[in-house]
Amino acid sequence: MAIKRYDYVIVGNSAAGVNAAAALREADRKGSVAVFTDEDRFAYSRPLISYLVAGEVDGRRMLYRDPSFYRRLGADLYRGEGVSEVDYGEKRLKTSKSRSFAWGKLLLATGSKPFIPPVDGLERVRCSTFINWDDARSMQRATRKPECRVLVMGAGLIGMKAAEAALARSARVTVIEMMERVLPAALDAEASRMVQERCAERGLEVRTGCRAVSVEPRGGSSGSAFLEDGSEIGFDLLVVAVGVRPRLDLVGDGGPAVSRGILVDDALSTSLPDVYAAGDVAEAWDLVWEEPRVNALWPNAALQGKYAGWNMGGRRVPYPGSLSMNSVEFFGLPVVSAGVVNPPDGAYREIAEHFPDGTYRKVVIRNDRLVGMLVAGDIERAGIYTSLIQEKAPLRRIKGALLSESFSHAYLPQAVRHARIIKGAAGLKAADKGA
Amino acid sequence: MIRIYPREEYCTGCRLCEIHCIVEHSESRDIIKAFKRERRPQKRVEVEESGHLSFALQCRHCDEAPCVDACLTGAMRRDARTGAVINDRDRCVGCWTCILVCPYGAVRRDAGEHKVVAKCDLCPHLEVPACVANCPNEALVMEEVPGDGDQAL
Ligand SMILES: Cc1cc2nc3c(=O)[nH]c(=O)nc-3n(C[C@H](O)[C@H](O)[C@H](O)COP(=O)(O)OP(=O)(O)OC[C@H]3O[C@@H](n4cnc5c(N)ncnc54)[C@H](O)[C@@H]3O)c2cc1C
Repeated sequence: MAIKRYDYVIVGNSAAGVNAAAALREADRKGSVAVFTDEDRFAYSRPLISYLVAGEVDGRRMLYRDPSFYRRLGADLYRGEGVSEVDYGEKRLKTSKSRSFAWGKLLLATGSKPFIPPVDGLERVRCSTFINWDDARSMQRATRKPECRVLVMGAGLIGMKAAEAALARSARVTVIEMMERVLPAALDAEASRMVQERCAERGLEVRTGCRAVSVEPRGGSSGSAFLEDGSEIGFDLLVVAVGVRPRLDLVGDGGPAVSRGILVDDALSTSLPDVYAAGDVAEAWDLVWEEPRVNALWPNAALQGKYAGWNMGGRRVPYPGSLSMNSVEFFGLPVVSAGVVNPPDGAYREIAEHFPDGTYRKVVIRNDRLVGMLVAGDIERAGIYTSLIQEKAPLRRIKGALLSESFSHAYLPQAVRHARIIKGAAGLKAADKGA
Repeated sequence: MIRIYPREEYCTGCRLCEIHCIVEHSESRDIIKAFKRERRPQKRVEVEESGHLSFALQCRHCDEAPCVDACLTGAMRRDARTGAVINDRDRCVGCWTCILVCPYGAVRRDAGEHKVVAKCDLCPHLEVPACVANCPNEALVMEEVPGDGDQAL
């Protein structure tokens, strides 16, 4: 029996996959497109699962695109049908429903999977992760019980989101973190301190600089965690959120070259012809670190998906590079950051300031270029910093004005201001044109 | 679609554009009610100043808009009919990712019933956007530019 063939197959239906499909259609109006997802759902916004638990969004508002999205694109969506095997030589794949398909070009947009740390006894307790819609449902169920004790391992973005969600469900929440501070990757020490202070005020207990050495089950999903100092923390729900790793299940033998993630060039193309990768699973060029990196964040995944779609569809547009960037708000304190926020050595200069309204701002400079920024408090206009980082514009005379409270385009030299405002040449677009 | 451009040589920094923007985006669209009785909406245009220099700036409705690409929820999108970049306030959760990526600083937090951002929508109910129509000095001009939102899905 002849097997069905698609010109393009996308594995993964999230930030990268969805944007790839749309861009693919812009570049190639005719080619046949299939999207496979092992989740039995329409594309939804993964970062909203904490909002779902807290009751701030409902199922409808979780959706990232209207369910008619793929029909209007003329693409076939296979929901609840994961790709279990890929034959890169024969250009075929097999699904969890034991069906086979042939493909012309393939995009791996399989995202992340949670990393489970080697903690003694962890395999014997019923622990959760906080990665998808189903995890959100489990947390809702668990926290229905009054006085539910929730223990979150890890104070990174996902751990803190899980903690915030559980707290909104009136659970008693404790977060433990190995590092000395919360959100150690996204924030600098000062911003971490500010966030942690808010958490303490709102009754979220965060214990930093401590590690669970073992856990023991106590029936159901309850248990106890034992810390290095010998103390014990009881829980009714344990959420493991110590980090994510690229989901490389489909790489296997004969698959594309991998370092931490699947290595891609500026066409999001892997080491294999006609095989592309985008999103959390990919390791693409990072424009400030100037090396390939996994930047497991939604805006990067969406943008990589878009460029992958264009390039797969035959429109050659070089990917301008990734930038680590974070926007978080915990208990009313918004914090945004981009690029290098914790400089590794003396090649960087940091300028930081606290303002009377409580706002904290920092910029990080290397060779007269802006390479990092962080604003906590009044975050308005922070995107201007982000775009200066992306453009790698020499700072020259504006350096002194960068931290001014009302820093805006009024502080940029007239020619630059004119180019950006009148010609619309700001941000990644400018990088495009320069390339 | 239309685009709005500032002319800094004519701007006196009077901020009437901001006031009329607020009125246009208020519930009643009445200046007294908007400022005295109702929840005052966030302005979608800002007079940027440094020394004697001033000009009004609002969303540029970028062709490849970083805010649309980065939006976590799909709330920020290009309107297929007008080509304007608009934010669906019902789907916006106020995660501020658009603020983090807007090269112009033209997206703002809007305190209200729920966390949401506010930005220029080119005044879809008006022939001429409120900021342009009410500038006493023609320091804001409107132009019809080629372009469309036809790939918006
Ligand atoms: C709780 C939480 C909060 C977050 N908050 C933020 C935030 O505020 N800002 C931010 O920038 N980022 C945030 N992130 C990170 C962001 O969600 C990810 O960077 C983004 O989802 C990556 O998109 P992606 O398309 O690469 O992969 P994913 O979203 O991981 O999607 C990959 C999809 O592929 C599917 N899949 C995998 N393998 C297969 C297979 N073999 N066959 C079929 N389907 C497969 C997976 O099930 C999944 O549905 C958050 C993440 C979490 C979990």
